[in-house]
Amino acid sequence: MAAKKLRRAQLSQEMCERLSRYQITTCQDFLCLSLLELMKVTGQSYYEVQKLLCKVSRACAPKMQTAYEMKLRKSVNPSSAFLSTTLHSLDRVLNGGVPCGSLTEITSPPGCGKTQFCIMLSVLATLPVSMGGLGGAVIYIDTESAFSAERLIEIAASRFLTYFDSDEKLLCMTRSIHVYRELTCCCVLKRIMSLEEEIISKKVKLIIIDSVASVVRKEFDTKLQGNLAERSNFLTRGASVLKYLAEEFSIPVILTNQITTSLSSGPAIQADLVSPADDLSLSEGSSVSGKRDSGCVTAALGNTWSHSVNTRLILQYHDLPTRQLLVAKSPVAPFSTFFYTIEKSGLVLQDRKDQTSLVWEGTNPALQPIRVRNTALKDTFHDAALPSTTGETSRNTSNL
Amino acid sequence: MRRAARRVRARAGRGRGQAVRGGAGGRGRQRSPLAGRVRGVSEACPERVRGVSEACPRRVRSVSAACPGRSAPCPGPVRPGGGAAMQREVGTLPLAPALRARLAAAGFQTAQELLDTGPCGLSKEIGISREEALEALQVVRQECQGDAARTAGGSGATRKCTALELLEEEQTQGFIITFCSALDNILGGGVQLTKITEICGAPGVGKTQLCMQLAVDVQIPECFGGVAGEAVFIDTEGSFMVDRVVEIAAACVQHCHLIAEAQQEEDHGKALETFSLENILSHIYYFRCRDYTELLAQVYLLPEFLAEHSKVRLVVIDGIAFPFRHDFEDLSLRTRLLNGLAQQLIILANDHKAAVVLTNQMTTRIGQSQATLVPALGESWGHAATVRLIFHWDNSQRLATLYKSPSQKESTIAYHITSHGFRDVQPPAVTHSTEGTQLNPRKRPRTEEEKQQ
Repeated sequence: MAAKKLRRAQLSQEMCERLSRYQITTCQDFLCLSLLELMKVTGQSYYEVQKLLCKVSRACAPKMQTAYEMKLRKSVNPSSAFLSTTLHSLDRVLNGGVPCGSLTEITSPPGCGKTQFCIMLSVLATLPVSMGGLGGAVIYIDTESAFSAERLIEIAASRFLTYFDSDEKLLCMTRSIHVYRELTCCCVLKRIMSLEEEIISKKVKLIIIDSVASVVRKEFDTKLQGNLAERSNFLTRGASVLKYLAEEFSIPVILTNQITTSLSSGPAIQADLVSPADDLSLSEGSSVSGKRDSGCVTAALGNTWSHSVNTRLILQYHDLPTRQLLVAKSPVAPFSTFFYTIEKSGLVLQDRKDQTSLVWEGTNPALQPIRVRNTALKDTFHDAALPSTTGETSRNTSNL
Repeated sequence: MRRAARRVRARAGRGRGQAVRGGAGGRGRQRSPLAGRVRGVSEACPERVRGVSEACPRRVRSVSAACPGRSAPCPGPVRPGGGAAMQREVGTLPLAPALRARLAAAGFQTAQELLDTGPCGLSKEIGISREEALEALQVVRQECQGDAARTAGGSGATRKCTALELLEEEQTQGFIITFCSALDNILGGGVQLTKITEICGAPGVGKTQLCMQLAVDVQIPECFGGVAGEAVFIDTEGSFMVDRVVEIAAACVQHCHLIAEAQQEEDHGKALETFSLENILSHIYYFRCRDYTELLAQVYLLPEFLAEHSKVRLVVIDGIAFPFRHDFEDLSLRTRLLNGLAQQLIILANDHKAAVVLTNQMTTRIGQSQATLVPALGESWGHAATVRLIFHWDNSQRLATLYKSPSQKESTIAYHITSHGFRDVQPPAVTHSTEGTQLNPRKRPRTEEEKQQ
């Protein structure tokens, strides 16, 4: 819309020519000028310029819809509003599943199950609508070369035994998952920008980017000056294109993220940690400030990125092999936690007897502490998500 | 203010150190021996007319002969005349720049000269067509009429009034309640109309939830303590969820039903008929702006929209930071655009008696050894909003701090987001109910709501 040429904004031909002499050809250029500049450039009087502004604004302003119309549109086709994850408790909490039309982020330490979750969701998206899927193709942008087609088939075969009874069906499913390997930020951005046509031609119903953090952290070192701003720039640009695609085609977009350590009084330090005590920069930081700052492991990519995603799911370690899934940010769901294990058929939720402790008190999704694998240094970690025995339940009911 | 600024520029543009024409423009620049003069009116004038008066023995500006010298605000001088407005310099008139240059080259200096010349004379002298000359003269005449009306104290663009009138206005003005009584208290009653309120906060803390709550609360009928208005929701981040609004609206309607049952007044029942879920949703006007160009365009078109939908009392822009945080190499352009936006929103808020609510993101500022979270968009943006709220986390408790307000003091309260929407942390104690009903008759203890859960 911004790049709309003024010609199509119903300005007169001579006006367009006159403006192009000043290199003003798009609506964006026009609207960025102040009134006096516009008067100079168009050679019109003040009132005329205001009328022109209204004309150009009308050409690129969005259409109005009332909330009622939006609700009616949703209720006409309710199943297309989300992608069910087949993890029933999670679906219930998220009002159906992974929401369509917004960005969902999955963050976790390495080896916790992000890629497994993504592969599972790609299988689900290819299932027909009658089985709870979206009945379409999947675009999988893989930056870590972690996608395994064999695992895909294994999950599909063991999870939906009755449906995938023949090889034919499995092959058909694999044909509709398009995997792109992009290894630099620039390539990822270019690929995202070119997705619009692919979505229409291949009838794509799910976009997965695994992972955003790996390319970004390889190329931007936030300790260098200027890199933080550039990184934010890249991320917000990517996020806005993805949001546009998600809303325009009403499809879910899933992104994965990594972890970092944020010191309570220092800037976030990029590290793929196994344990914070091993990281030298942490001890440097604490020696500067004089006392032992307890850093915590949180989602990477900073504050700006946390604003851009609409839903954030955190996977973290519990007692191996059990892992924990937290709903850390969601516009429709309260903070919830679930336990799961990774099996042959993908992720499987565990039914715990203490169901009431599923709701916990969360905090800032950008600073939510995440539990990593090495449990030896247990006292270093903040365990906000781990449900305690009795105190939790009474606290939680008063929250609602 | 506008004219003074233009005059400065016109003077600078001409490069001549020409002094301002004798008190022209109606501001009464002439020094007068009278003390305590109010905007060009003589203190000694027995009629105390704001503007021109025949009866004023010490009139300092040219007056309209027809003015009888009334004591009520003067509606404006009788045509022809307009007196002082006619002395306006040609360079300050809103004509096309090329035309202004020609007029200056031909030697025209005041608007009066232009009008005296007439269209035919003007066209011959400057070398433009008669139609163009006529158009120019119409602009000049319109402008001078506008000036004269303003200087004579008419209502309109000047918004001139005494503090007493403002006080009366403020006291009768409604607030948009947020259903969190603690937040309403620190705001002095709720979100104020005709002011810009900015909500900054970390991700996931509840900014969009509050905006959705306000879009529902602005529609509460007057008999329940609301302002009975409609809402415009401009979304730049795509975080508006209709299902959530439905939940919030349903809870609000239920709340009002319970009040109506408890208080049993007639107009409550009538109001409740129109306050239904469908009506609430139909009166939230939603715009989805994908980048800053669309946002600018939409804000330019808002005055027209609000003129058509005169019941709108709330404009929410959810995510004013998001479109401006990428694709901007030229930070000075960003500052200029943001300031322009802020000005337009202030004018909008005042003209249409609407509340404007903006949400902002937080960004990390890396200091020497510390990284702090500060509101995004820079320091200069901090001046745009009248009231600034910062939402933040304290471990697992959500807190709201009133950071900037002209009339309330800084304080922090805790709040919760429940399935019903934006709420207090604890229900107000039943023992305070008598006090509570005096201040806020529409607030009732929350115990019934809790039981329903």
